[in-house]
Amino acid sequence: MLVTQEFTIKVDNETILNDMTLEYGPGVHVIMGPNGVGKSTFAHALMGNPNYETEGAVEFNGKDLLSMETYERARAGLFISFQAPTPIEGLSNFQFIKQAMTSLNKNQSIKENLSTFRQSANDLGLGSEWDKKQLNVEASGGEKKKNELIQLDMLDPQTAILDEPDSGLDIDAIKILVEKLRAFVDKGDKTLIIVSHYAELITKLNPDTVTILDKKGNAKQTEDIQVAYDILENGFNG
Amino acid sequence: MTEVSKLADNKYTAGFSTQTDTEDFEPGLTEDIVKRLSAIKDEPEWVTEFRLKAFAHLQTIKEPTWAHVNYAPIDYQALSYYSAPKFRNKDEIPPEILETFDKLGVPLHERDALLGIETKDPNIIPTVAVDVVFDSVSIATTFQKELKKHGIIFCSISEAIQEHPELVKEYLGSVIPAKDNYFACLNSAVFTDGTFCYIPKGVKCPMELNTYFRINARNTGQFERTLIIADADSYVSYLEGCTAPAYDENTLHAAVVELVTHDRAEIKYSTVQNWYPGDENGVGGVLNFVTKRGLCKGESSKISWTQVETGSAVTWKYPSCILRGDNSVGEFYSVAVTKGKQMADTGTKMLHVGKNTKSTIISKGISFGDSSNTYRGQVRIGKKAHNSRNYTQCDSLMLDNSKAITIPVVSQHNNTSIVEHEASAGKLSEEALYYLQSRGLDEENAVSLVVNGFCKDVFQKLPLEFAAEANQLLNVTLEGAVG
Repeated sequence: MLVTQEFTIKVDNETILNDMTLEYGPGVHVIMGPNGVGKSTFAHALMGNPNYETEGAVEFNGKDLLSMETYERARAGLFISFQAPTPIEGLSNFQFIKQAMTSLNKNQSIKENLSTFRQSANDLGLGSEWDKKQLNVEASGGEKKKNELIQLDMLDPQTAILDEPDSGLDIDAIKILVEKLRAFVDKGDKTLIIVSHYAELITKLNPDTVTILDKKGNAKQTEDIQVAYDILENGFNG
Repeated sequence: MTEVSKLADNKYTAGFSTQTDTEDFEPGLTEDIVKRLSAIKDEPEWVTEFRLKAFAHLQTIKEPTWAHVNYAPIDYQALSYYSAPKFRNKDEIPPEILETFDKLGVPLHERDALLGIETKDPNIIPTVAVDVVFDSVSIATTFQKELKKHGIIFCSISEAIQEHPELVKEYLGSVIPAKDNYFACLNSAVFTDGTFCYIPKGVKCPMELNTYFRINARNTGQFERTLIIADADSYVSYLEGCTAPAYDENTLHAAVVELVTHDRAEIKYSTVQNWYPGDENGVGGVLNFVTKRGLCKGESSKISWTQVETGSAVTWKYPSCILRGDNSVGEFYSVAVTKGKQMADTGTKMLHVGKNTKSTIISKGISFGDSSNTYRGQVRIGKKAHNSRNYTQCDSLMLDNSKAITIPVVSQHNNTSIVEHEASAGKLSEEALYYLQSRGLDEENAVSLVVNGFCKDVFQKLPLEFAAEANQLLNVTLEGAVG
């Protein structure tokens, strides 16, 4: 359960998102809003990106999220996907996953992990050598997106905030994305918060709530999913 | 990662000292001291002459000041030039010295070998032979018998002077003359011990040769001298490691290493340098002034330097290659990490003399805290070095208030040759650290992954046996540097 209260996000003293009181329990939640309103900002502020100042309170599974370091938030079960994940030279994809899993106390054998990793990469059409490739180095936008999905698979967080996971993916990959997200939610007790304007993805995931961020920096959450479909049909000004 | 966290409390794990009975010279640097040094080692006259000539020249020159390092003036008269543990022969090494190497983690089979156990199980084929130098003397050299079967000579330089004078006489000072520079000149006058290797024609050395240098005594300089000769069509991989106790005073270390390769021979020389770096305020630490040079004398010969430098308060070191033989190859791969108040000025010289000579330089500098890290390189393509090539890549990674300086000098005297240079300098990316932390890695761990990745090209060049050691050393170094 992720609960924000009067949550405000600022960059260099300028308010981006204001006074948000929102609640995300197990299930699927969609976040929508015009370009530039701060959807990515919302995800990164929750993850503790040092570029953002925050006010108000955020409770994550009973813990005070805002007082925690980024790595502690990850260890508490929070995951966000990056739109443009950072390349790290000399660090292989699997070496990275191995380190992350150790940090998160995911106790599986390296052999098992490697075979799960390869399976996951294979599902996404990333080729058999993907585990040896350097993390986000010389990868296309689509490949980076897929790599974020593998991490979701492997790290298996309690709450995942996915920032436009469909962008840059072709139609086949989107199919797999939907399957993977569906499978993630079906594990039960998982919270999936997804930033997307992709009708098929939203329809298939059948969200429980929709949050609309507007240009004034306000957030409105509703269980009336029709709001989302209206936006998909008519746009934000419709 | 658990191993690293265990070490987190001890930033410099090799900083202890050993109590043992020693025979020392009183402080002072005089002609008489040089003569006594030569006498105590029972050296032939030509070695004494070599020393005295160097000593005379030393009186006429001054320490170089061009490097980007600062240190309090060295009082050469306040240092002792000889300190040796007391034992009559190599079967009687005092137990506290054996314990020292045990504590330093010189691998067990090597320690067994020091105890004279050699190989108990005939099925175990040793992969490393080691020469151990404690202050001014070599205390043991392992697997000499095994190596002798192949005609390989692996012993201390003092022993080589006695047993193989013709070889030492031919090569000593042939690559680095006594007058080369101040510290080489000082070393030529007062060198104490070090390693000698000779690989005969056509022999591929069946194991890694390793010298472990330990400074123990206070106020004593260590002046080791290493000479490695690879005769035609031979190959050897050699590694040196070094540590010293944490004393408040600076400790002077001025070594000379000379390598010679004949036709089609190859020497791969690796260094893991972990001398005491001083404390966080810059008190104490080893002053490391080292002259290392290899001569590719024969055609198609190759010399490859790989260094991982994490220690020393001040490092002044430029392992170089003279590519005299046609088609000869020189390589320099370096990782230099500085933190706290450390200062490193290191790099290489590639002097292309012969035709079709090739050189590669890959240098990775990482600096933390208030340290400074300078890459200084010179590539010289001589008039007759037709169709030669050099590729240089210098990358630096900075954190905190540290400084990274890159000084590459190229002089091209042959227009059929190609010199390429790539360089990058950057702060450690906050973004990368945030990304890794968002996956649960704490800051130290995140920095370690980024830095290890940055150094990977160089670490891959280390012999397998030592790559893990270098990696762990780097991680321990980072533990002390971050946060």
